[in-house]
Amino acid sequence: MRKSILWWVERALLLLISTIVLFPIAWMFLTAFKRPRDAYSLSLDFSPTLSNFVTVFSDPWNLGDMVLNSVIVASVTVLIAVPCASLAAYSFSRFRVKGRKFLFFLILSTQFIPAVVIVLPFFLMFRSLGLLDTRVALIVVNLAIVTPFVIWMIKGFIDAIPTDSEEAAMIDGASRLRVIKDIVLPMAAPGILTSSIFCFILTWNEFLFALILTRRDAVTLPVGLVSFRTERGDLWELMSAAGVMITVPIFIMALLIQKHFTRGMTAGAVK
Amino acid sequence: MAEVQLVDVEKRYGDFLAVPKQSLTIEEGEFLVLLGPSGCGKTTTMRMIAGLEDITSGDLMIAGERANDKPPKDRDIAMVFQNYGLYPHMTVGENIGYPLKLRGMDRKAREARVQQTAEKVELQALLKRRPSELSGGQRQRVALARAIVRTPKIFLMDEPLSNLDAKLRVTMRAELKHLHHELGVTTVYVTHDQMEAMTLASRVAIMREGRIVQLDTPKKIYSEPADLFVAGFIGSPSMNLAEGRISGGRFEAPGVSLPVAGADRGDVVLGIRPEDLQLTRDGDAPISGRLYALELTGDSTLVTLRNGATSICARGPADFEAPIDAPCALAPKPGARIHLFDKKTGQRLDA
Repeated sequence: MRKSILWWVERALLLLISTIVLFPIAWMFLTAFKRPRDAYSLSLDFSPTLSNFVTVFSDPWNLGDMVLNSVIVASVTVLIAVPCASLAAYSFSRFRVKGRKFLFFLILSTQFIPAVVIVLPFFLMFRSLGLLDTRVALIVVNLAIVTPFVIWMIKGFIDAIPTDSEEAAMIDGASRLRVIKDIVLPMAAPGILTSSIFCFILTWNEFLFALILTRRDAVTLPVGLVSFRTERGDLWELMSAAGVMITVPIFIMALLIQKHFTRGMTAGAVK
Repeated sequence: MAEVQLVDVEKRYGDFLAVPKQSLTIEEGEFLVLLGPSGCGKTTTMRMIAGLEDITSGDLMIAGERANDKPPKDRDIAMVFQNYGLYPHMTVGENIGYPLKLRGMDRKAREARVQQTAEKVELQALLKRRPSELSGGQRQRVALARAIVRTPKIFLMDEPLSNLDAKLRVTMRAELKHLHHELGVTTVYVTHDQMEAMTLASRVAIMREGRIVQLDTPKKIYSEPADLFVAGFIGSPSMNLAEGRISGGRFEAPGVSLPVAGADRGDVVLGIRPEDLQLTRDGDAPISGRLYALELTGDSTLVTLRNGATSICARGPADFEAPIDAPCALAPKPGARIHLFDKKTGQRLDA
């Protein structure tokens, strides 16, 4: 079958956009495997090395500590935010309480506040609490940023689940919590998983608060990246290696989301 | 088994009055059918009994206990939803067994019970499938099986047969009737299908705009409809209704002149069922007009004739034939029931 012109135009546009989006990433991946003297050259002809990765994980960069900080901060944030947000989202979706809309708007409105505006109050607050440069501080801040967003996201998924199955379960003898456990959570699972990964990515990439609130002990990967700007100049090859370390987990997660995103879980529940 | 009582129960959604204040007693072991056109409040009434809908005012009593504030799970009911309400992430077997699982029945006993129930609704071959792999009729049978897998105090069924094909519907109808006979569980059944209502019910409550207009045995509803709405709603083809007046002991309308009991008055609607009429060659027949349509239904022919504003349908013999527009005459069969209604109020006029 001959492909139509439209098909070719479509492919060409896709290719163009992919190139624009992927070029910097490809550049970073290449640079991560270059020696310092090759870092500035445009040539693809270089002998790849893993030495940059060895360097960033050793003194004085110690990227390992930052990986650990990032993993702990992002994981704990997800583990707290997602269960809380799921219950909140369910409540917003199902209970017709007075002032529900206003409350929901209030929660969403926290997302309209620019981070720079509240970073100083947070700094002062954590300083008086003695929590500066701790993972706890970062987790608290990230929870505040991420939870409203995750509530909003999961609510969307729960709204899409027909209430019939829940009502049937209640009649069959399940309590409200049992309904959530047996019926709502399995049906909303793809959505909750997607939200969790989004939540993880947001926290993983969070830069501003981590920059202001940490100094040495609780530094996360994105902040760590800045330390490769030294008085000896920008160490691009090291920065790229660290960048790869930040990007790869997110890459894998994006792939996971894609797989679960397309699964139609609610099919067949009702007419 | 339990008696269900609705005492002055009312349902409002904000300013909208869905079900106006009324009382209804469903007796122990009774099969009560709520029958009416869509949007008449029958499903809302059932959902209030189930506890899925708050009662705005009034009392709901189940087995003598006030149940208004009891959560659905504590009412000991089983319900079949019109939209099935299946659990898409569970297999058919798990769906049917879920009420038993919630009551802590162990796996072995549960599986045996599920198997037994599945056989009743012919689902035993599909127990391992998921709802998404089933047809509409099969899904409805899963919903039905899930309701009858245990013996609750009350069965609530919201159009449980609406998505089955005609043949299976008749089979399942008989199965439901037998089940009710066997278990004797109080059942509330919502439908807009009069055939289901007539065949299944101990009593039928006919609802219109949230109100119960008649609550009676199917026989009584058929033979003595309380008003014009019921008269027109029950029976297929529906009752002939002719507007006219009574004078000198006869009902008079264009093409109709029938002796009736009752004082002289205008604004009367006469009702007579097609099956109570027969074709006649009598030149002086009480009903006459021109043939308007002939419909063969198999065992009989529906003969519709018209005279001015009056249109009357009769059930005639299957071999009846006549050209359209031919003059035609009808007479009530011996023992035919003639109904009279007040045109303004719609109420039945009893002689």
